[in-house]
Amino acid sequence: MSLNEFTRLALKYCEKLGADEAEAFAQSLQTTEVVLERAEIQNERVKIQRGIGIRIIKDGKLGFAFASVLSKSSIEETCRNASSLANVSIPNPDWVSLPTLTKLPKSPSGLYDEKTAQMSGNEVLNIAIQSYDQARKVDKRVHIDDGKFSLFSTKIAISNSHGIEAEEKATLLQGYLICMAKEHGKASSMAFEYDVTRSEKDFSPEKIGKYAAEKALSSLHPKAVKTFTGKVILDSETAAEILMYPIINSINADNVQRGRSLFAGKIGEQVASEKLTLVDDGLLPKGIGSSSFDMEGVSHQKTSVIKNGKLEGFLHNSFTANKEKTKSTGNAHREGYNMLPLISVSNLIVKAGKKKLDNLISQVDKGIIVRRFSGNIRPDSGEFSGIAKQASYIEDGEIKYPLKETMISGNAFYAIKNIIEIGSETRPTMLRVYSPPILVDKINILSK
Amino acid sequence: MIMGLLKESLKKSSGYAELRYHKRSSLTISVKDGKIDALNSGAVEGVCARTLIDGSWGFASTTLLEKGKIKKILDDSASLAKASKPKKKRAVKLADVKPVVDKYVVPMKIDPRKADREELVRLVIDVDKDVRGFSKTIVSDTINFNIVDDHLAFLSSDGAEISQRLVRCYGNVMVVAREKGNIASAYESIGEQSGLEVLKKTPLSDVGRTAAERASKLVSAKVAPAGLFPVILENRITGLLAHEAVGHCAEADLVYGGSFLADKLGKKVASEKVTLIDDGRFAGGFGTMKYDDEGVPTEKTVIIDKGVCRSFMHSRETALHFGVKPTGNARAWTFEFDPIIRMRNTYIEGGDYALEELTEDIKDGFFLKGGLGGQADFDGEFMFGTQEAVRIKNGRLTESLRGVTISGNAFEVLKNVDAIGKDMIMRIGMCGKEQVNFAGIGGASLRTKVLMGGAK
Repeated sequence: MSLNEFTRLALKYCEKLGADEAEAFAQSLQTTEVVLERAEIQNERVKIQRGIGIRIIKDGKLGFAFASVLSKSSIEETCRNASSLANVSIPNPDWVSLPTLTKLPKSPSGLYDEKTAQMSGNEVLNIAIQSYDQARKVDKRVHIDDGKFSLFSTKIAISNSHGIEAEEKATLLQGYLICMAKEHGKASSMAFEYDVTRSEKDFSPEKIGKYAAEKALSSLHPKAVKTFTGKVILDSETAAEILMYPIINSINADNVQRGRSLFAGKIGEQVASEKLTLVDDGLLPKGIGSSSFDMEGVSHQKTSVIKNGKLEGFLHNSFTANKEKTKSTGNAHREGYNMLPLISVSNLIVKAGKKKLDNLISQVDKGIIVRRFSGNIRPDSGEFSGIAKQASYIEDGEIKYPLKETMISGNAFYAIKNIIEIGSETRPTMLRVYSPPILVDKINILSK
Repeated sequence: MIMGLLKESLKKSSGYAELRYHKRSSLTISVKDGKIDALNSGAVEGVCARTLIDGSWGFASTTLLEKGKIKKILDDSASLAKASKPKKKRAVKLADVKPVVDKYVVPMKIDPRKADREELVRLVIDVDKDVRGFSKTIVSDTINFNIVDDHLAFLSSDGAEISQRLVRCYGNVMVVAREKGNIASAYESIGEQSGLEVLKKTPLSDVGRTAAERASKLVSAKVAPAGLFPVILENRITGLLAHEAVGHCAEADLVYGGSFLADKLGKKVASEKVTLIDDGRFAGGFGTMKYDDEGVPTEKTVIIDKGVCRSFMHSRETALHFGVKPTGNARAWTFEFDPIIRMRNTYIEGGDYALEELTEDIKDGFFLKGGLGGQADFDGEFMFGTQEAVRIKNGRLTESLRGVTISGNAFEVLKNVDAIGKDMIMRIGMCGKEQVNFAGIGGASLRTKVLMGGAK
């Protein structure tokens, strides 16, 4: 049976159980994974997961049940379970309805690649080895600590009692290496490098190895720097983590409605530097968060979030949209079939500037560049503090030397007002944010 | 029934083979700002096979519980083991363990299977009311209560046949306060491995109040300053130090990779006040299990005894390599993962100081409360977040400031421990090391020095 046949079957059972509304979300996911640990192939895994999550609404009361077994009897039992959960619940006064049918856009190109889907465990292993060999080739002082290469081949299907019925498949290949360089008994800080693509032809294991090794080498023999407040270049990953994570939290309509967002009531206001433009684009070709519909079956779209520093919009799923009598932006997201839909970015794109990283560096009279961050970021208040790893000291427009572990602290909401420049070299990051390096001012840099 | 199927399938395995069955049933009740989210319940179940052939592991898992499919993952794991063998440098060998046949069920007074779900819903609703009613500044809250009921089976081609039922009941409270354009949030949790009696022992409403009080106090507070300060870590966060900063360095796979403790067995690594333990059988501990996921009986492992490093945490593989007995630390998150060395319940033993005695000698320092996420590199450099920093001036607790991330080298921090409180508690934690897992983290309030990454 196809996934949509299972979801349709679930709806039939739900109707029999007296549901006012019902929704079934089914997923199949095959993961092939190679784990490297202490410079060795630690493990290869092939995981096959399938499951279904069923939402039932009865008199404003919501029940949700899931199962990892897809069979007629299991689905019937899961529907009964969801129904009995709705029975013992309490009506939610904010509930309006499940989403209604929208005409879905054409599926964004490049989300599924047959050749990638067919890769064997051995082929994934070869990618890992290419990456590993490349790192070692750069320099004998480089040691790989760990890494993981994963291939995901996934299919999702959604049906609901308002006529939504959608099914889509996708592939995703991602891998990372963490390595360090050792010389004269001293080890550099851990360098992290990754790639994430929809197909094997776009994936570059050599680059992961090469860049990881170069980063590790360039952080050998670090020096300390005196405490100061100054300019910081965040690379794609750290910019996403430190600056975008609190933004993602604050443009989430659920947080806005619940008073948890500092952006609440600020549509049209200047919340960031004019240099910052953010768009959530669920239809980005080859995008790591793309598909034609969100995880409630609502059309994906392009939503302007911040334009030249002005706050333009929030991200909705059907629940928050109904609550405000507006349209869902197609940002319903589930971590898996066993989770209820929440709100998340699809692909959050930071509009690139014109300057390459070297040009950003040349703009810094005194500051640091941070390539890894190990710390805490408060998503609501924007406060962050932690250790800048893989950081280097910059003076008079040049990288001078690698830094000993240094702490940085500040507030993301101030930092986005103090953006000096946004770079041109955009990369996808693990948070589904596409970001170039970003140069910000007035960050506290604390010597250890 | 499943045991019979697994046993039957194992008969035709090659090399040394393990089959693990895992069914995880769960119920989540979530109330947000007084409104209940969909009650969420279900089960994930599956089987994995791990095969060791000529010193090479192969692993495969499936959610299809049929004879043919289980045979297939056994075959897949064997062929993966063979295929990857030429690319592996090191041949895996396992320390001997006696294959055990046993059944274990976590001790429970109120089995959640018999729970009255309506009553649980009311309880969560009541906590929410209480929290939101605490102060006018509180604008939002989320209260969650979870029951996770794990049924695990472990069978090996050596004849092990273990069945375990582990039940975890836990809840958490997230509170957001707002005032004059400022926002602050606070978070607290309760839970243990037991039945629903945990709700009587440590009521969710108690931590609800702690979180509510903290959020409303911090909404108008400034961020704590940066610098090296004498601090008291509250008993609720000492476990983070034990786990993040020290524990990981004592995991034998990381020791093998050259962690800070690699050449420290028998040597002094902390103040003599410090005894650090990883206990696989701590009553009610979040990481407690009678057998680990390699079928090894768990034990109480003393890692640091009065400041001296005494032992590491082992799997069967590392135990053989180090020439010691396996400690029962090989754990897997679900059937989708192979077991790796994980902590179980890690804690720093309590001392004999009262809280006032800990503070009285501090001229200018902080009492750090409420934990947030943490991380550590295996050279002992660690960081974890704190929610609240209460300033200590001349031995007295004064104003509350917003907490910041603290960092340092764990062993420096442990050398500086000069007093430990008598308020030892065990708490719940989730640890991510390639795969997540439940872990108990515990300790008593203690006095030391750390670097605080705060405002200028």
